[in-house]
Amino acid sequence: MKPKEIDWNQLSSIIENHKGEQWGLIPLLQEIQETIGYIPPESIEKISNAVNLFPAQVQGVITFYAGFSLTPKGKYVVRICRGTACHVKGSRSILRLTKKELGLEKGETSPDYQFTLETVACLGACFLAPAMMVNRTYYGKLSPPKVSSVLAQFKKQEGQ
Amino acid sequence: MAINGIRVSCPPGITILEAAEQNGIKIPKLCYHPDLKPFGACRLCLIEEEKSGRVMASCVTPVAAKMEVLTDSPRVIRHRKNIVRLMMAEHPESCVVCSKGNRCQLRGIAAEMGLGETGLYPIPNYKSIEQANPFIVRDLSKCILCGKCIRADHELVVAGAIDYNLRGFKSRPATLYDLPLEGSNCTFCGTCVSICPTGALSPKTTGYVGTPEKETLTSCGFCGVGCSILMGVADDRAVEINPSGLNGSVNGATLCVRGHFAHDFLNSKERLTQPMIRGESDLKTVSWDEALDRVASRLLAIKKDYGPQSIGFFGSSKCTNEENYLFQKMARVLFGTNNLDNGGSMAGRPALQIIDEKTDGRSRINPLANLEKAEVICVLGADPCQSAPVLSYYLKRAAKRGVPLIGIDPRKTDLFPFSTLWLAISPDKDYELINCLAAMVWKKFAHDSNFIERFTEEFNLYTEALSSFNPERLCLASGLDMKSLAYAADLVKGKKISFVVGHGITQQKHGARSMEAILNLSLMTGSLGCESGGLYVITKENNQVGAWDMGTVPDALPGRIPLGDGSGRGEWERAWDVKISPDQGLNVVRMLEEAEKGNLKALYIMGENPLRSLPQHERVEAALKHLDLLVVQDILDTETTRIADVVLPGAAFSEKGGSFTNMEGRIVCFTQVVPPPRDGKPDWEILDLLGLKMGYPKAYRSLERIRAEMVRLIPMYAGLQETPGDAWTWIRRTETEKTLRFSPLQTTDQGPMDDDYPLTAILGSQRFHLGGGTRTGISKRIKDFGLKGEVSLSSKDGARLHVKSGDTVHIQSREGALIREARIDEDLNEGQIFVPTAFHKNDAMNLVGLSVLGSESSQGLKTCQVRVEKLEGSK
Repeated sequence: MKPKEIDWNQLSSIIENHKGEQWGLIPLLQEIQETIGYIPPESIEKISNAVNLFPAQVQGVITFYAGFSLTPKGKYVVRICRGTACHVKGSRSILRLTKKELGLEKGETSPDYQFTLETVACLGACFLAPAMMVNRTYYGKLSPPKVSSVLAQFKKQEGQ
Repeated sequence: MAINGIRVSCPPGITILEAAEQNGIKIPKLCYHPDLKPFGACRLCLIEEEKSGRVMASCVTPVAAKMEVLTDSPRVIRHRKNIVRLMMAEHPESCVVCSKGNRCQLRGIAAEMGLGETGLYPIPNYKSIEQANPFIVRDLSKCILCGKCIRADHELVVAGAIDYNLRGFKSRPATLYDLPLEGSNCTFCGTCVSICPTGALSPKTTGYVGTPEKETLTSCGFCGVGCSILMGVADDRAVEINPSGLNGSVNGATLCVRGHFAHDFLNSKERLTQPMIRGESDLKTVSWDEALDRVASRLLAIKKDYGPQSIGFFGSSKCTNEENYLFQKMARVLFGTNNLDNGGSMAGRPALQIIDEKTDGRSRINPLANLEKAEVICVLGADPCQSAPVLSYYLKRAAKRGVPLIGIDPRKTDLFPFSTLWLAISPDKDYELINCLAAMVWKKFAHDSNFIERFTEEFNLYTEALSSFNPERLCLASGLDMKSLAYAADLVKGKKISFVVGHGITQQKHGARSMEAILNLSLMTGSLGCESGGLYVITKENNQVGAWDMGTVPDALPGRIPLGDGSGRGEWERAWDVKISPDQGLNVVRMLEEAEKGNLKALYIMGENPLRSLPQHERVEAALKHLDLLVVQDILDTETTRIADVVLPGAAFSEKGGSFTNMEGRIVCFTQVVPPPRDGKPDWEILDLLGLKMGYPKAYRSLERIRAEMVRLIPMYAGLQETPGDAWTWIRRTETEKTLRFSPLQTTDQGPMDDDYPLTAILGSQRFHLGGGTRTGISKRIKDFGLKGEVSLSSKDGARLHVKSGDTVHIQSREGALIREARIDEDLNEGQIFVPTAFHKNDAMNLVGLSVLGSESSQGLKTCQVRVEKLEGSK
């Protein structure tokens, strides 16, 4: 399966909107990341023209921030917290289980572009440890069954 | 403030590091460079503020009044040692084989601090070594992330090929998409290589690895910018080139691919090492005495039999001022002929001459540093990113700072992304465009009336004539739109204009006329004689200006004294104690024509390869073969030396002392770096010896004596007197009261298009080669880069002719033809093709006719009408 087709018109209009803005690069990248799901590498040169930077500079900013990605991600981005509190509460097992459930290694995206598995240094939700996020939703006080049911929920959604 | 308890005073605004250095206090640093903005990446320059005990990076902390800092307190030392230990822990232990050797700054600092073992667990950052390209080896495992390469790339060269990629431990400088350098917009200028403090970036050397034994200051031997370089020497061979980085030098810490990597020719096997004389058919090696005897006796015999006008002298825009001075003196004093020329005449001297005449010598000094103060820059018929890269850095830096840059060129060159406005006008419309622009400025009353009143005359005539130039008509004829033209006029109105003029004007058919138009517009806007405006003409060869100044031209004596100037000529007659004919001698094209007719019997060529650099190679070869005597003094085995009767091996610039005059009017002196190969001799020495043999009573025997005579007799070069052997001075400014006159305008008549040859071929250079490519073409690393010199076609012409990239095409002009691979270039205008020069023995020059540049009949050397056909059998 292929990732969602890129709407180049939409992409161009986003770039056009931010053209010539001072300090416009990060908001521009955020908007592309948000709308397209990632920043297509082919768009780097267009972006750099719009904000009057060198393409290599734009690439440097994209690769610096974890929030920007140059590769398409799954529909659901699963982020397992690997912070100290979660670690103490057993996030290693949570990660291992998630890997098994999704059949993915850290940083991988499933071939059908449904899931991406990532780890995060800390989600800032230590009171919920061990915690994970799926897209923008937190899931805390995880246990193996809870992980399975959360993931199943998304798999099921997809199945419909 | 106080540094280490010593009270110092310094101007406000500078950093603590600079203050310390100004007062002779050394602070170790890795990421600091005087030409780059402070960055604060390496943290080695830490200092401690005494009162607060704060530790700060001195390179990014400005000084404050009454500040008290310690540069080597125990705390600072402890921190500094830890930083170096951490860097070493990440660094591979390959110092033994690293070509940076003793010049590695990390190693130097570690040694200074007495750090051998880090005592840390090594975590080397393995990365693959990239060395596919022939110029730069990238071993990023040795990168310490000082960011100097990136900052040099962005701030000095403004190429934008690299930036930091990723973060944390993985962070490294990378190209876009992390491609190898040749896949990026890297120009291989090598500035990053020279600035890299460790072995992460190193030049891919040919035949020598290691630290050169010594480095000597000299001047680059290629284009007219004349960069100041440091030549690394090992075993009496030049093995490495770096920019000198000298304060006030034209290039500072930058260079271009030619300067950095193309000096390979110095050590090539094509170097001439022994004098040769033609025997029955072949050239055979002989002693210097025998060779010089042969030259002297044959030349004197020819002079006796056929008179002085039967001998010609073709000097070199690549030889030194001293050598050109001797060369023309030999011609004028010993032979009584003005048949003198140098390669510069074909590289656009006539257009330069117009400026000199019209401004009465007031426009000879044009420091490129003034471009930093430019108000608006207008680049006309020039592709400095290719022809004079270091000049283009000035332009790109100015544009990045916000100076409006107008590009006027049929092709969108690499300057296009930096331009405010680009007028892609066809090559024959420059003249009209400049005049239309002037007419529009006049309409807005945006001229400099003060300047016009004080310094000029005939402004009324000029403005009257301008009314016949109609911008709307030009737009109709050229496909420009009125809006762009109006924008251009808006950009220049009320401002001083800095013109950068290239070979698109100076080698163009109507180059002289266009130059007059540029001068008129300069006068109208008061852009001359100030730092914020100016006229910068790109010269192709490093001593094109000097060869002219020294009088190696058919129409002027040293110091640019016209032959027709009776009193000026009289002074030279007295100085040399000879009669000098007031009649112009033959220029190089006329010499060849006379050789064809059999009137010219002998030609002495010093440091030129006309069989490659001039148009119509076959015709030139036939003409040269028709001579009774062809003497070629050169450093390389060239097309021309192969047909010579006598070959004299000279010395390259690095093998002798001398001086070059660059496009700025800066006279750069240099001393010998290495000895000439085998029997080669400095060219001035050859001329000196020859002079003795031909009856000149006194030998110079030293460069200093030649220079002393020049200083005494040429006021322009008086500054040489106090200039040490490896420093520079400037051409003396001419005092003149003469008013500046606006040149009358001419009506333009375009000849009808020739339907047989419907396309316009534009000839131009690529940054890897210079001129005809005699030297760059045999430079190993340039050869290894494998450029093919494809001809570019616009996509529309490509479609019409069914030519795709990679196809082979046959290009036919009225004068000649060539076969090349084709490439489709989206940025070209329809109806125009681009043919790079210097490839395939510079066969591009066969497309244009051999003619005297600037003469009525000349079609110029820059463009010609052609027909393109796809060759069968290509893909």
